[in-house]
Amino acid sequence: MADSYRQTTQAKLARMGIYAMLFLLALWFLAPLYVMLTTSFKSLDDIRSGNLLSLPQSFSLDAWKTAWDSACTGVECGGMKSYFGNSLKMMIPAVLISTLLGSLNGYVLSMWRFKGSDAFFMALLIGTFLPFQVVILPMAQVLGMLGLENSTGRLVLVHVIYGLQFTTLFFRNYYVTVPSDLVKAARIDGAGFFLFFFKILLPISIPTIMVCLIWQTTQIWNDFLFGVVFSSGDGQPITVALNNLVNTSTGVKQYNVDMAAAIIAALPTLLVYIVGGKFFVRGLTAGAVKG
Amino acid sequence: MGALSIRKVKKSYGDTHILKGIDLEIENGQFLILVGPSGCGKSTLLNMIAGLDDITSGEIYIADRLVNNLSPKDRDIAMVFQSYALYPNMTVRRNIAFGLEIRKVPKIEQDEIINRVAKTLQMEHLLDRKPAQLSGGQRQRVAMGRALARNPALFLFDEPLSNLDAKLRVEMRTEIKLLHQRLGTTIVYVTHDQIEAMTLGERIAVMKEGEVRQFGTPQQLYDLPSDLYVAGFIGSPSMNFIPCVLGEADGVGVVTLNNGKDQLISLGQISDIQRPFVGKPVILGIRPEQLTDPASAHSDHPNMQILTAMVTITEPTGPDTLVTVNINGVKTVARCHPRAAGVPGQSVQLSLDPTKALLFDPVSEKRLA
Amino acid sequence: MTVNSFSFSRFVDVTLPKVVIAPTALACLVGFYGFIGWTAWLSFTNSHMLPHYEWAGFVQYVELFGNDRWWQAMWNLGVFGSLFILICLALGLFTAVLLDQKIRAEGALRTIYLYPMALSFIVTGTAWKWILNPGLGIEKLLHDWGFTGATFDWIINPHYAIYTVVIAGVWQSTGFVMALFLAGLRGIDDSIIKAAQIDGASLPVIYTRIIIPSLRPVFLSVFMILAHIAVKSFDLVMALTGGGPGFATDLPSIFMYQHGFTRGQLGLGAASAMMMLFTAAAVVMPFLYSELMRDRRG
Ligand SMILES: Nc1ncnc2c1ncn2[C@@H]1O[C@H](COP(=O)(O)OP(=O)(O)OP(=O)(O)O)[C@@H](O)[C@H]1O
Ligand SMILES: [Mg+2]
Repeated sequence: MADSYRQTTQAKLARMGIYAMLFLLALWFLAPLYVMLTTSFKSLDDIRSGNLLSLPQSFSLDAWKTAWDSACTGVECGGMKSYFGNSLKMMIPAVLISTLLGSLNGYVLSMWRFKGSDAFFMALLIGTFLPFQVVILPMAQVLGMLGLENSTGRLVLVHVIYGLQFTTLFFRNYYVTVPSDLVKAARIDGAGFFLFFFKILLPISIPTIMVCLIWQTTQIWNDFLFGVVFSSGDGQPITVALNNLVNTSTGVKQYNVDMAAAIIAALPTLLVYIVGGKFFVRGLTAGAVKG
Repeated sequence: MGALSIRKVKKSYGDTHILKGIDLEIENGQFLILVGPSGCGKSTLLNMIAGLDDITSGEIYIADRLVNNLSPKDRDIAMVFQSYALYPNMTVRRNIAFGLEIRKVPKIEQDEIINRVAKTLQMEHLLDRKPAQLSGGQRQRVAMGRALARNPALFLFDEPLSNLDAKLRVEMRTEIKLLHQRLGTTIVYVTHDQIEAMTLGERIAVMKEGEVRQFGTPQQLYDLPSDLYVAGFIGSPSMNFIPCVLGEADGVGVVTLNNGKDQLISLGQISDIQRPFVGKPVILGIRPEQLTDPASAHSDHPNMQILTAMVTITEPTGPDTLVTVNINGVKTVARCHPRAAGVPGQSVQLSLDPTKALLFDPVSEKRLA
Repeated sequence: MTVNSFSFSRFVDVTLPKVVIAPTALACLVGFYGFIGWTAWLSFTNSHMLPHYEWAGFVQYVELFGNDRWWQAMWNLGVFGSLFILICLALGLFTAVLLDQKIRAEGALRTIYLYPMALSFIVTGTAWKWILNPGLGIEKLLHDWGFTGATFDWIINPHYAIYTVVIAGVWQSTGFVMALFLAGLRGIDDSIIKAAQIDGASLPVIYTRIIIPSLRPVFLSVFMILAHIAVKSFDLVMALTGGGPGFATDLPSIFMYQHGFTRGQLGLGAASAMMMLFTAAAVVMPFLYSELMRDRRG
């Protein structure tokens, strides 16, 4: 009796310990978000008098307004809004094109294999491991030769090319689980390549499409390397603008504006994460475990 | 008119030869079965008939038309798959209509066809469901309905029943047979189940390792298998193969069977092909149902041979009991009446029908006829 | 009997898939392999502001290997990479094991642990730059809490700045590692654990002897991914420290970017890019190789 009593209290203590640790971990992950949010609602005086964890004395939206339309990112002082637009303008076409191409590629590589298609897939897979630094110099040359001056156009092209290996992988790995009899049945029914793809395969790939869209959205929105290398001036994406804003050394450092701008830059992907979390995690694991 | 003609068809992937020259020919309205062990190339052959796989060499004619270079949709065929391959995103109705839509069949006609097919297969109540909402047997029905709707020159079935449970399988088997008799369709049907092959087929091609070992009617395959493989494959429980030495007495073949003591058994008149084997080892093939207790034997035959053997094990199946005895060092199964089956350790009398006994060459494995 | 005629739809069946895959094949061939070759070629030239394509031998590599900043960057990568990988692995596994104990609010906790992964490294860097800043950040917090003598100036201290990169990197990536391990834990056959319990093994023993060893493949892929993140990491450092103070947090990726794009040293940039590729390959090859072997066997 006493023994089992001891055991249950021990088990209870252990569980409390587990919950305590999980709680502390949650605090550690949430703290920066809390600091960002509270800082963005503080005035500069407030920041100086309080500390990281103190709540704003008076709730102010000034920093947000400044961050959105008048903060200086280098020489320009138009806030984040136009860069936010730039990121949207390059992200939407890049995500859609790379997803569509990826699904078609995955379809061919799983259901219409031909001699060399497996080797091609392997070549594509290796691409997922490349550090992009090794392709950006020639890419800059080629973009120059093509005379493609428009930053958005350049970024769409680059993001499509270097996103294809991931989108293809997602779809190919899903389509190999679709029974090959299905495509045979459709061929006998008379459905050709595209009819089968659009009428039968795409409707059953909605979860994979979600995974792919979310993955590409976060990758492209959050990208910095391509942005800083291939875009210029007022065509830059928001990550580059945020970095410029934070590292602009003129005048007083406005931490509240920095934080508001950072949250603005983070909002779209956070929103995607909250709405499509399930698909986001699946994408991460799928993109990670490669097949 | 030839419904399907396959001439010297070969298929290889690189150096692996999957099909090594297949020749088959069936008439309109015939039910052809391709049967054989897993991996022998049945599905490959069927896919090639359908146009889903390329042919390495040879020719395939459907309704007297060379189809080698036609795509599946132009071959006037329909196919039922083992996994059913129903379009998961479409209702049963749309599944059936899909092929018709692509062929631009007018809407009114489509509805007529769907209703007729649904009625034939008694699945009117399923038409608005999605495949995920159907049981295995129902999916099977829909898959058949989709094929029937097209009314093609040739139906191809790739192991359509192998995903069903035993009882449903027997039911659907009967249904397919009825359907074939009623509609007079030409069918090529793949299975690895010899019972399915025997009950359904009008012509059976027994395949092994990319070759057709024998092509004939079910009865031909049962009575006169061309080699040891076919003999062992057709029939359940399978044929007993007893090694022995062929002897001759007054133009009649004799063999010695030993179960503790030698017993001389005389077979029929020796044939010219058998004669060179006199004095040499041969394999005696005898089906369990032709080795039975004397009372159950069809004793109208004047020459029934009797041998005594000791029972090692008995397996009741209900109507009969399978009795295992040891003859010439190999396990031999006899099918006896339950009351004459004896118990292990006991000696029983078995009668053997010499006209049904077959002889095989142990080297070439061919039947000596 | 009709003649053996050429069939258009059959031709389409064979050709269309190749046509569809062609743009990607082109992009992959040129964009990956072609450009790698191009970069390799540039690294053997004397290119400065503009690319020249005359062969110049190993001059850029000689210069690179004689460049103290490069070695500083490689050393930093080694320190950052090994700490980042080690801590992420340990913390991620620990969190996953805790979360695997039938926790009530598991969904919510997972969401909290993983959200940093949805952020850009630039955002993460910006946030931590503010949190770690010596005047108003953690140091001030410590003072307010009564530790008046405390200093916490790692971010501007050349000896410690690299550890702030580790902190921010770990904060961002641990949730992801946790998710991978959790998926691995959930994939383990329940009956093995039950059998061990019946054999009388305690929970810690079950974890250390049975469950964690069976996560070997997950360890492998997590390691690969973290190593990959470390080798190419660029944005985090750009936002957090800009490579400074001095070159205290400089990384090969920053070295490459600055020489290739802002300092007009194309050849040197290309040589450093090639070295990055080799570093990535050195980490990835064993993994790919073992995957290939597994494919061949299975
Ligand atoms: N693409 C391919 N490349 C190489 N070999 C193949 C390919 N497709 C099939 N095979 C081989 O062809 C042989 C015949 O395969 P097939 O599917 O026709 O067998 P099957 O008789 O239908 O068997 P089952 O009863 O298992 O369905 C098998 O040995 C298989 O391994
Ligand atoms: Mg098969």
